[in-house]
Amino acid sequence: MKHTKMSLREMAAQTPAEVQQEVKMEFAVSNRIYQLMVSKGLNQKQLAIALGKRPCEVNKWISGQHNFTLRTIAMLTTFFGEPIIGVAE
Amino acid sequence: MSEAELIMYDQSDKCTMYTIQFTGDEDSEIEKFYNKFKDSLEYNADFNKLINVLLNILDTGAFERYFRYEGKVSDRVMALPVLSSKLRLYCVRLSDRILILGNGGTKKSRPYEEDDELRGYVLTLQKFDKLLKEGVRDGSIIVTENTIDTDKTFEL
Repeated sequence: MKHTKMSLREMAAQTPAEVQQEVKMEFAVSNRIYQLMVSKGLNQKQLAIALGKRPCEVNKWISGQHNFTLRTIAMLTTFFGEPIIGVAE
Repeated sequence: MSEAELIMYDQSDKCTMYTIQFTGDEDSEIEKFYNKFKDSLEYNADFNKLINVLLNILDTGAFERYFRYEGKVSDRVMALPVLSSKLRLYCVRLSDRILILGNGGTKKSRPYEEDDELRGYVLTLQKFDKLLKEGVRDGSIIVTENTIDTDKTFEL
């Protein structure tokens, strides 16, 4: 099978390092929330109801593409009772 | 109608990404999208994010929650990104581990069906998806857990 002239990794390497980092962090936070949601036996709708949010809000959180505020992260950390992100000492 | 083939775009242990290249074209569909926006000042921010969204999908898997539905219920055509953006990139999501990237463009306020350019990209992928399903049924295409094996050309 033929290959594209440029791979995705080569294309992504051309983008600014801070954007690479930003999207990587968005996916990491999102996947952590998804993991916590599943480990608590909740689906998107149940999590939305438990938090008094609309399901589309939870949909955004687990899309890997949401720019989280610290307020949202704090709220979810409190709800799950487990850390979502860590800060270097 | 044009003839096209499936070509490899990138792969990881989580996801294999393919794209389509029309016979006689210099670039594949995803490379056309890349070349269209890589130097665009207006769309630069959205474009750089979108390329990195794809990279993170490559590294983690093509999970349904990363995509927005934009085709019909009966097909597997989806779009990126999920959040509000001036850009739309279309793809066929076969599974968590196989993704086929198409072309995309700028999203105006109206639905994609009313935009000839975007509608064309979606129709191409819908047709491709249909031929892929037929090929799997007749045995000319083999889809494994993370690969598509075919040397077939597709009349799109």
